Amino acid sequence: MRLLVLASRYRVVIILGLTLVASALLVPGYLSASTLSLGLDRAATIGLIAIGLTVLLISGQIDLSGGAVFALAGIVSVILQREIGILPAAIVAILAGTLAGAINGALVVGLKVNSLVLTLATMLIFRSLAHWITNSQPVSGTDIMLSLALAKIYLDVFTIRSALFIILIVLLHFWLTRTIPGRNVFAVGSNPAAAKESGIASDRIVFLGFVFAGTLAGFAGVLQSLVTNTGSPVFGSELTVAVIAAVVVGGTRLEGGRGSALGTLGGVLTIGSLTIAMEFQSVPAYVQQVVSGLILILLVMLDRAVTTKGRAQGTRPALVRDDPITQGGKAWLGGKAWLGGKA
Amino acid sequence: MTDAAVEIVTPDRFTRGSKLVDALSKAGLAFAILAVMLYGSLVSPAFFTSGNLLNVLTSMSIVGIVVVGMTFVLVVGGLADLSVPATIACGAILSLGLQPMIGPLPAFVLAVGLAGLIGLLNGVLVGYVGINPIIATLGIGTIGLGIVQAAVGGVIVYGSNPASAEFAKGRLFGIPVVVLIFLVIALIGHFVLSRSFWGRWTLATGGNYSAAEASAVPVQAVKAGAFVITALASGISGGLLGLTLQSARPLIGAGYEFSAITAVVVGGVSIIGGFGSVPRAIAGLIFVQLLTNVMVLDGVRTPIQGFVLGILIVGAVGMDAALRKRGVA
Repeated sequence: MRLLVLASRYRVVIILGLTLVASALLVPGYLSASTLSLGLDRAATIGLIAIGLTVLLISGQIDLSGGAVFALAGIVSVILQREIGILPAAIVAILAGTLAGAINGALVVGLKVNSLVLTLATMLIFRSLAHWITNSQPVSGTDIMLSLALAKIYLDVFTIRSALFIILIVLLHFWLTRTIPGRNVFAVGSNPAAAKESGIASDRIVFLGFVFAGTLAGFAGVLQSLVTNTGSPVFGSELTVAVIAAVVVGGTRLEGGRGSALGTLGGVLTIGSLTIAMEFQSVPAYVQQVVSGLILILLVMLDRAVTTKGRAQGTRPALVRDDPITQGGKAWLGGKAWLGGKA
Repeated sequence: MTDAAVEIVTPDRFTRGSKLVDALSKAGLAFAILAVMLYGSLVSPAFFTSGNLLNVLTSMSIVGIVVVGMTFVLVVGGLADLSVPATIACGAILSLGLQPMIGPLPAFVLAVGLAGLIGLLNGVLVGYVGINPIIATLGIGTIGLGIVQAAVGGVIVYGSNPASAEFAKGRLFGIPVVVLIFLVIALIGHFVLSRSFWGRWTLATGGNYSAAEASAVPVQAVKAGAFVITALASGISGGLLGLTLQSARPLIGAGYEFSAITAVVVGGVSIIGGFGSVPRAIAGLIFVQLLTNVMVLDGVRTPIQGFVLGILIVGAVGMDAALRKRGVA
């Protein structure tokens, strides 16, 4: 058991190392600067969404609508290019992502419903909107040269997209570990009732968490659309599982209250290098799906196996409680708190 | 003892004993269904034709079989089963793909059985390991769909047995066979949920997990069972879908999970668990299907229909949470 706990703590390093060794052995010419650059660029899309999801998961919530927001923002940025120019269109599109996140956050906080179920519904809504706007057809942008400029590789390794991802995740690391708002996110995730009692505005943190996640999903979608010069309503539909898998590989718990930005970085790199390795070997897309699904399930099981048993009643955060009426709903329940009981 | 407590306390907690709320929650859906029918017959002359209604009934039956299973998942407090597209694809692809090798009936049975196996995996992860149902079914669904696709090489499978197609598309006493199968499954589901020990266990587990566990209800098995039931139901639904269409592509079941979840929550089955019945879910299904049909006849495009479904889920879940809060506070 101790070994499991230890393995679970340093699992990002172990899993990433194993992935790299296995890929290097199986794929000829895998370990090179160009692979690294390609892998980073591929990982950046998952990574930007994963940044937002890391914060949300730590605060005990989840957002399944990221892939749909990703598509929607990309479409908005491409469609508006003709009307208002490329940069303003990109900004409006990112703001559309922010708005989508704000809708998620307001509904979760306002209606006090489980974020899994709610973002499942908003995922359907945002995805339908994307199909609605585009008539289910892909749309293309005005400037092809821009995508070439964005795909340019600097210092042999970084594209603009992957550099932005690395910078943001380092910033997130400092924000989560060195600032008071960052610490409050952990407090809300590990025990919403206690956090509220200690004067932390749980609802506001949860709301802002959704806004943050929506903004980043929108940002990732805009970058993707600019790089491919295309917006499509089907973009990002297979991202949901990959993003959750990346964050969970990085040691962030679905139960809330635990997680780290650097872990997510490791998880994203793992998923990225796996994807690249499988693409080099021309493994079909559906087999890649099986792999990311397996990684997700196995790690979540590992997490359950090492979760310390017997947490105080009513302190289990949002996602593991059977009772999905979540944030701030526990303190006043008093004697009824056991209704939600153990999962 | 537990049984009696559940039967009396549950509606009480939900409506706070108010007769008005109780009546509204029961009659509300009936009114909504009538309103949709009225609107449909006003805007489209095609609505009240036997051809159209029969079409609605047939497509409703395919979703309806899944809805019966999904009701168990929601009532037991399992949130939702997102592996439905995988189990439907499993049922459809295998029941067509295996026909040349082992004949239509064994192919169908094997396909449903394998779908049930996916459900068993879900059930073990959710019930025994204690993983969040949505994450577990999302992961297992992705894996299952990938394996089914890999098994047939990611292509479309076509049927090779005209007799089985005739049967699935055929009618008995003027009623389509698919509708009859749905009615039988719905009756069995209703009987199990409302009249059997398994149903009482399901309601008890969803209503109060700890209390049910303390009363010696095998809560883990009951929770796992709900996912097996849903997977078997979707397997049957997928098999029938494949036989009717005589072709199955890997994404044949995409969207069915949302249709089923929408029907169940619109029917007033609590997403938190512990409350709900098959007839309620089917009333929700009738409402959603009629609404979709009226939108189609009205020329509303598919994306907007998805949009409306999403808003219906948000509205129903929000209302459920509001009612719950009143009941508990």
